[in-house]
Amino acid sequence: MNETDNNSFDDELMAAAAELITEVTPNRDLWPGIEQAISQPAKPARTVWNSVWAQAAAVLLLVGGSSGVTYLVLTEDLSPLPPVAGGPTLVFEPVSGSFGSMYNLGPGYQDARRSLAAKVDEELSRLAPEERDKVQKSIDVIHTAIEDINKALAAEPDNALLQKLLLSTYRDELGLMMRVDQITSAAMRRGDI
Amino acid sequence: MTAESTAEENGRIRKAQTGDSAAFEALYRMHVDKVYGLCLRMTGNVAEAEDCTQDAFIQAWSKLNNFRGESAFSTWLHRVAVNTVLGRMRKSRREQDRIRVVSDVVSAPETIGDSGGLRDLEQAINELPSGARHVFVLHAVYGYSHDETSAMLGIAAGTSKAQLHRARRLLAQQLKTECA
Repeated sequence: MNETDNNSFDDELMAAAAELITEVTPNRDLWPGIEQAISQPAKPARTVWNSVWAQAAAVLLLVGGSSGVTYLVLTEDLSPLPPVAGGPTLVFEPVSGSFGSMYNLGPGYQDARRSLAAKVDEELSRLAPEERDKVQKSIDVIHTAIEDINKALAAEPDNALLQKLLLSTYRDELGLMMRVDQITSAAMRRGDI
Repeated sequence: MTAESTAEENGRIRKAQTGDSAAFEALYRMHVDKVYGLCLRMTGNVAEAEDCTQDAFIQAWSKLNNFRGESAFSTWLHRVAVNTVLGRMRKSRREQDRIRVVSDVVSAPETIGDSGGLRDLEQAINELPSGARHVFVLHAVYGYSHDETSAMLGIAAGTSKAQLHRARRLLAQQLKTECA
């Protein structure tokens, strides 16, 4: 086939294409689906950035919280721990809504926590008010972190990073309680001497 | 389109822009065949074309306030439909899973031209690679210029010309083979 034939075929092809049907009636009425979609109120856009910001906020919160807790606990002065009479009692209350309904803590953890919390509450009563304030600040930081992560989890229940962060924060809480127990035990031993 | 029907369409557009879904339904009824035809030619799949048509009108509803009348409403709607088709095709690989081809629904004319080599044009277009098919459909079937076609598809005008050349070559090969 020569160039003239090709050109002729091309022209014929384009002419035939221009003749093709451009309007086709659908086999079914598509309006009901459209009507249903446009009558629903628009959902707020949930972009990848929402998730990224939520994760970034949770990471910052956890890193800040953990650093604060570590700093407060490690800078505790172990030597002067005069016995305290009276003053408000510190209690490790469970944070409401922890893990939500989908993230139940196991009974083993709950038992261990209750046992340790009772012991720590007792130990805390031995601390001076200013020492108790420091511990209280640490507790507040951790509890705020738990609450914030729970809020983020409520919006994104399947977010694995947030779930890990929450578990890690609970571990921080346990670590703090154990640390308080060790501090007061050490102080008691020194006092005994 | 007559001046009267254009005025009628403009009135419906204005009403729909204020949230009047009945006016939008009237616009749907006026344009659904054109939009569905385009979706069918671009996707080559009946079910996908139906979904694309619905999505296109839903998109059109949400973007209706962006329509300023700078082009014909049908052209604007075509643009929305093309974007919808491309968006869906990016998300899905369903293009490969064509259940029913266009030729099942749109029967080609008995004979096209006098050579007998273009009888299966519908089928041949449907079997083109998507890039070449989209350009051929918009340019050769719907008559959009290369500038309009490239703007709709988000490609360079040169790419549009290259894809058209490719489409013609592939169609020629296929149709001549079938003829032989």
